[in-house]
Formats: sequence, C-alpha cells, structure tokens
Amino acid sequence: MTQAAASAPSLVPLVEADQAPILARPYFPAAGPASPLTASLAHVPEILEVALPFVGRVLGPTALDARTKEIVVLRTSALMECSYCVQTHTAAALDSGLARAQIEALRGEAGIEEAFAAAGERALIAWVDEVALGRGAVGEEVTVRAREAMGDPELVELTLVVGATLMLNRYCTALRLPTSAATLLRLAEEGLA
Amino acid sequence: MSVAASIASGTLGGRVWFYSNYHCNLRCAYCLTESAPEVSRRELGKEEILARGREARELGFTAFGVTGGEPFILEYMPELVSGLGAELPTVVLSNGTAFNERRLREVEPLADLPVHVQISLDHPDPDENDEMRGPENFRKVVEAVPKLVERGIGVRIATTLEDPDAVDPEERERLCELHRSLGVPDEDHIVRPIINRGRAMTNEMGVLAGYEQLDPELTLTADGAFYSPFGPTVRGGRLDTDLLVSRTTSPLREPAEALLRIAESRPPGHDTSIGIN
Repeated sequence: MTQAAASAPSLVPLVEADQAPILARPYFPAAGPASPLTASLAHVPEILEVALPFVGRVLGPTALDARTKEIVVLRTSALMECSYCVQTHTAAALDSGLARAQIEALRGEAGIEEAFAAAGERALIAWVDEVALGRGAVGEEVTVRAREAMGDPELVELTLVVGATLMLNRYCTALRLPTSAATLLRLAEEGLA
Repeated sequence: MSVAASIASGTLGGRVWFYSNYHCNLRCAYCLTESAPEVSRRELGKEEILARGREARELGFTAFGVTGGEPFILEYMPELVSGLGAELPTVVLSNGTAFNERRLREVEPLADLPVHVQISLDHPDPDENDEMRGPENFRKVVEAVPKLVERGIGVRIATTLEDPDAVDPEERERLCELHRSLGVPDEDHIVRPIINRGRAMTNEMGVLAGYEQLDPELTLTADGAFYSPFGPTVRGGRLDTDLLVSRTTSPLREPAEALLRIAESRPPGHDTSIGIN
C-alpha cells in the first residue's frame, strides 16, 4: 500500500472562516484554518452539523481507548489508500501511544505479526481487513477470532469505526482534501511522511 | 417554539423571500448579487416557488417577497406573482424597466390581489440616478410607475443611498415630489442604505451588515436557504455563504426550523436595523 502525496488541489474550494455559514461557525476554530474536512463540509451546513458530531463521537473518546481506535482508523485508511486520512491518523496514532513499528505495519510497510504481539490486536486487525476490503460476510475463522478477542459492545463500536472511516476515506480521497501543513511538518520530523 | 409562534412573537420575520433569478437587464453599481445580462440565470423556478409558498403559508408565514436579478424579465413572473398573491400579501422588487405594453397587460390581474411592485428610484435627477443604475433607467421608471398605478397595481418606490441620513433635504424633497407626482404616496416610499456586500463591497460602498444587524427572514434561492434577502450575495462571481442556512429548501420546515434555531441563538442585545423593504 503506497500513499501518494496529496499534490492536487482540493476538488472543491475549502470554505474560509469569513464565509462559514452560521450553523457551521461553531466548528471553525477561533484562530487559524479549519480542518479540510470541516472546511469542505461547510458547503452543506445542515450535513456538517450532523456529520462532524457523528465523526467526533465515533472516532473520538468513548469507553474504548484511543490506541485501539487508531489501530482501526489507520489500518482502514491504509487499506483504502486515503493519503489524507493516513497522514492525519499517523499523527494521531503517535499521540495514542502506538509505536513507530506498529504504525508502519498498519500502513502496510511492515508485517503485522512482527509488530503486534497480542493475539487480541492481531484478531482486531484481521477483522478490520475483512470488513474494509471484503465483500459479503466476514469469514468464519476471522469472526471466531474477533468474538474471542472482543465483547459485543467493542465489536459493535469498532465495526462502526471501520465503517465511518471508510466513509471518510472515500470522501477525503474523492474530494482530494489536502493534509494540513502542520501534520505534514510533524510527519516529516518523525520520519513518517 | 413553533415556526408560527416565532413569527407571531417577532422572533422570525413573517415574510419568505424568493430569489427568482440572478440575471438582470441592468448592472447597478451597488448590486448585491452582481447581476447583469450575462450572468447565470440560476432560476428558482415557478413551480418550485409556488410549492414552497404553499408550504410557507401552512407553516404560518404571513407574506412573500420576490427579488433577483430582475424578476420581471422572466416570462412567467406575472403568473407567478398572481399565484403567490392569491396565497399571501406579496411584494416584488423590480427595477421597473421591463414594463412594456404587453407586460403591463399581463400584470393587470395583480390589481385585484394584495401585491405591490417595489421599484428602485434613487435620485430626482436623471443623470445622477442613471450613473448608479444605468442609461435610460430614470426615464423608463418614471414612464412605468404611473402606468402601473393607473392599472390599480400597488407600487412602492425604494431609494437606495450610500448614507440616507446625509442626503440633502432639498434633494430628498424633490425626490418625494417626484414619486408623489407619479402616484406613489409617502407611505409607499422606502429609503434604505446600500449594503456593503456584492458589487457594493467591490466598489467600497455601503454599510456593513452581519446577521446581528439583519432581520431573520427566510430567503430561498437556487443555491439554498439563507438568513436574509441580504444573504445570497455574489462577489467576484462567487456566492457568499456566510449567511447560508441550508442547501435544503424542501420540505420548507427544515430551513425554517434551522433559521429559527439561529434566530433564537442570536446574542442578547442584537440590533436589527436594516430591512430590504
């Protein structure tokens, strides 16, 4: 899996703060640019005010730890070759405590077995791979491993995280959203660009 | 609070505005929408307007407004305004230059309806008026207004000025004498400031107006629903979205309720002072 840099400009203009619709303004930062996701969704404020809280809730803090969620988001994004999401969530994965080798493995640059020792995490990644790339039902062997590793609430939530990430992957890739300069700078400093 | 109750209490404006189109036979210096003959029409459509109008009445709105662009360059405008006027009192904003004899015959049925045509006339002197609004504008307006009045159609005159408080009293009186002579009484003469949006912003004219200074009046366009008829402005060919409420216009309840949420969340002490009519 390779991640082509987002060299093309965004397919739609990113709405700047002075043009932010009234209902979108609470999602724009007081200073500095809004995220490309926010700035693009601002074209349709009635969607933005539903989508951003949804995304924030599903991908943000819940009963599940951030590290587990970032495994799911980064892996899904890498499978879908969404450079915006991979770059953005590589930075988030570092913040969540994932090791550099694990991030590289999730991005498809190294083997999962070597980077993840815990059987539960390997089962989760196998689940993510099948949910993200598969067609139809998830295979029996992967399902059994996932059921052993996760309780019902975890399986529900993490599967929803895969689904939400898939939506964002296709949205960000199709609209060619550019990764923020701050994220690109950080990834360059970390050697993970 | 329901939409109807919010209109009754004054939280929401009772008038729903329709931007029927964006193109115009004129190219006024302060135009909010950069309208001109060659711009994209972006018509809202007769059936769409009538359908939303019926919904608006059911929701409790009390009046309609039609603006553009120049509404009366659309062939179906007399019929559309008849349909709206049959539902609720309606005002149509016009530059007054499209009323040839055929058009005058077509608008005659409006005389029996609660409809007003609000025509722009900025100055008592033709040259100064036409400097902002284009050649022959003054002559066409002073010809059209009496013909509309003779047919029993309600006419208002709207004067748009850089600073209404600074206008020379003598000049203002001459303008009032003019509109009276055309058959339009003082109570149907509106004087309003240029709003610093659209072409007026490009030309560095007018007063700044954010949503804190504007009445919340549901405004429908081909691009979505806006907070005010001053919202869907165009500058540099780009639609302003700072006063966009939603892209969704149907069912009308959706943008109406979104506008109500915005109106209810306005900071205390907001100072609404600017209206379009």
